[in-house]
Amino acid sequence: MRSLTNFAPSTFEERGAAVAFTTPVLAQTRVRKDDRDKLEVLIPNLSDGHGVYVVPWKGLPLAFPMTVHDRMLQDLIRKGDGCSPDDIRKAVLQAARCGLAGPLAVEAAEAALRDEDEQRLLINYQLIVEVLKAVGLESTDILRAGLGSEKGEHLTRSYMTKAAQSLALEPTELYARVAELATFMEPVGIATSPRPARLRRLARDLLQFRDSMTDWVNGNVSEAAPIGTFCAEVAEHTLNQVRNVVNQLDQSVAAFELLLRQWDTKRTLVRKSTTRLSWLLDGWDFIITSWAEAQTRSKHEQDMAVHELFRVLPLLPKDEEKSDHALLADGLLAANRRTVRAYVDWRSGQLDMDLVMRIEAIKGKAA
Amino acid sequence: MTTDPKALLSLGTKLLDIDEARFRQVVDLLQQIGDHPEVQHTFSLIRPRLAEVRPKRRATFKRLFCEPFEDMFQLPGGDQPAPLNKVDRGVVNALWPLVEAHIGKERLRGVAGALGDGASRAEPARAFWSMAAAAVADILEQTETGRFADDLGLRLNPDRVRTIEDIARILTIAQPVAELKAVLSPKPIQKLHKDHLDGIQAIGRQVARGRPEALKLFILLAAVRLSDPSILLGSLWDMDLGQKSSDRAALFLDLSGTVVAQIEERSRSVASAAGGTVDRMAAANLAVDLVASLEATRNAMEHSRNKDFDQRLKIIRNSVHELVRTQVLDGADAEILSAVETLAPGADTARMVQAENQARALRKCSTIADTLGLRGELKSVTQQATASLTGTARQSLADGIGDARTGYTAIRMIELIAGPAEANQVMDDILRGDRH
Repeated sequence: MRSLTNFAPSTFEERGAAVAFTTPVLAQTRVRKDDRDKLEVLIPNLSDGHGVYVVPWKGLPLAFPMTVHDRMLQDLIRKGDGCSPDDIRKAVLQAARCGLAGPLAVEAAEAALRDEDEQRLLINYQLIVEVLKAVGLESTDILRAGLGSEKGEHLTRSYMTKAAQSLALEPTELYARVAELATFMEPVGIATSPRPARLRRLARDLLQFRDSMTDWVNGNVSEAAPIGTFCAEVAEHTLNQVRNVVNQLDQSVAAFELLLRQWDTKRTLVRKSTTRLSWLLDGWDFIITSWAEAQTRSKHEQDMAVHELFRVLPLLPKDEEKSDHALLADGLLAANRRTVRAYVDWRSGQLDMDLVMRIEAIKGKAA
Repeated sequence: MTTDPKALLSLGTKLLDIDEARFRQVVDLLQQIGDHPEVQHTFSLIRPRLAEVRPKRRATFKRLFCEPFEDMFQLPGGDQPAPLNKVDRGVVNALWPLVEAHIGKERLRGVAGALGDGASRAEPARAFWSMAAAAVADILEQTETGRFADDLGLRLNPDRVRTIEDIARILTIAQPVAELKAVLSPKPIQKLHKDHLDGIQAIGRQVARGRPEALKLFILLAAVRLSDPSILLGSLWDMDLGQKSSDRAALFLDLSGTVVAQIEERSRSVASAAGGTVDRMAAANLAVDLVASLEATRNAMEHSRNKDFDQRLKIIRNSVHELVRTQVLDGADAEILSAVETLAPGADTARMVQAENQARALRKCSTIADTLGLRGELKSVTQQATASLTGTARQSLADGIGDARTGYTAIRMIELIAGPAEANQVMDDILRGDRH
């Protein structure tokens, strides 16, 4: 088996974001932008072959027969602004809600959107509490008056005005900063939250996945066992990265006063961290759910499931392994973006050494 | 350890739902209690889950005794087809004490190594099975004079004599059966590959040479390890087991008889279950399964130029035809359409899931419609459904009447019934504003 880094693309953007298509051959394929800013899709193991097919986004329905749901999703992503995991998620939920993927998908999408709304409310309140705490004010009065009540709102406003004064900020500026932070932090939530937000839940599930896969591999002699070990290894590497990013974020929020005072420099950091977290965990939800479902199946089906998971495993990009320090540098991702060229290894952008050797050998014989 | 029988009884049904690790623990505890009648009852209640989880059971001589023919036990309440020539657990429960007494404690102690693990188990296990085979043959002989008739309940169940005869024969070929199980693992085998067939043939030859009278049971034991016994029927004709051709024809006929009887039983159970609300997808799955068995059997028969079963196969085909007509096709279009048209956002997911299953069942049956002579009927039902659904989709998506989700759901139903190409076409037409 090749080493982990041999498998990994260079950057998240090169790896692309996973799209929850329902057409089997396209399930969890990744979408990214090419050098002309046009979308393209990466399809691994087509007809069980090695390597990855790169198909222009527009030409996808011509290349593969797709379900109606997938055609709509493809259209929504094309019309959307970008192809980050968050953009893709928005499009996926929108497509699922219309009913083209069945009633259960509608229910799931609506539940996810409800959860997002609740998290938004919760994080806003929690951040206000943090602001008040940072300047030494009590928030229990607001809670007692009721969050949504007029009295509660009035109290919040007056407390926030006081807080803005002590932070030497305009109240509107303080509100704007809190609102922006809430948008960034919404999928992650804060450490003390009674209800962990989506990405924290996903990280917890990923930990369980790693343990479950490690247990499964233990004493397993099937051909799928080394692949299972590899999956657990990738999960472990990802978790390490996730822990680092979450710790950084939690530390930033813990030093809340500093965060608000130095907002101009810190906001980039927070935004980068949350974006990075969504990239790190992108594609794992499908894998975790598929594996949980395979647990109830027969041994043979579990082997098949591991092979199938491997096909869509979100490998850590090569440059992301040691990129903690580079986090501060703006535009790192853009600078490192590479495109797939002919005759190079798509994962590393390096020359395909086997091919070079073959050509050299032919040249040697021809001379 | 004290056991309250009532507590144990209530435990039985609970055990079907608890998680697997705890289930294994409880089974282990129950085994330690031993041969208490209530424990045995609990075991019979949880048998389907035992077969699924297969926790490591304590090795006993009774279990070893059953090992060669355990595949022929029928699971209570399982939805799998009953094994061919099934062995009744009641008979084994009554027979084992007699066999145990016949062999004697002293001799059993001599082969105690058979209860161990690993390679050292093989030799004593073989010795045990030959002792058991002799004991069962002896008991069988004595039943002819009327002995053991009460112990074994023979007077009430004459069929039990056949079971005991089968057990006696299978025990004489216990070793080849153990080898067969190794070849046909894990159970159930979905498709017979060359190594499976070679294995069956090689071991089958040994049996045909040494114990020709047990060959039919050997083949049945092989068939029982397959997901569909008719798969073996197709390959059996080409298999050279070293018999005379007349013996081969007789064996083939025997197996065909049992396979056809099994398909008949399944199709009859469908007919008796008809009426009331049905899971149409389950009906379609069953129909596809039965048609596959039917086709495999019919092909095998044609191969052997055997006309004996033609009439019986025709009856089976007719009952599957009825099954598809009444439980999949009848009223399908109306049901799907009404589910789509009365769709209220956020409500009644179960009804929509049911309607989707209905649509999937229609598509599934398109593969067998030709064989069953239902092509025309199926076509008219799907065309009608697709046309009405297209109308609904157009109303809601192009004309803006009602909720857009209704329109998309109608498109999805078309996709499930007629495939993505058709659904995409309809969607494109609607979005382009075409009227036809």
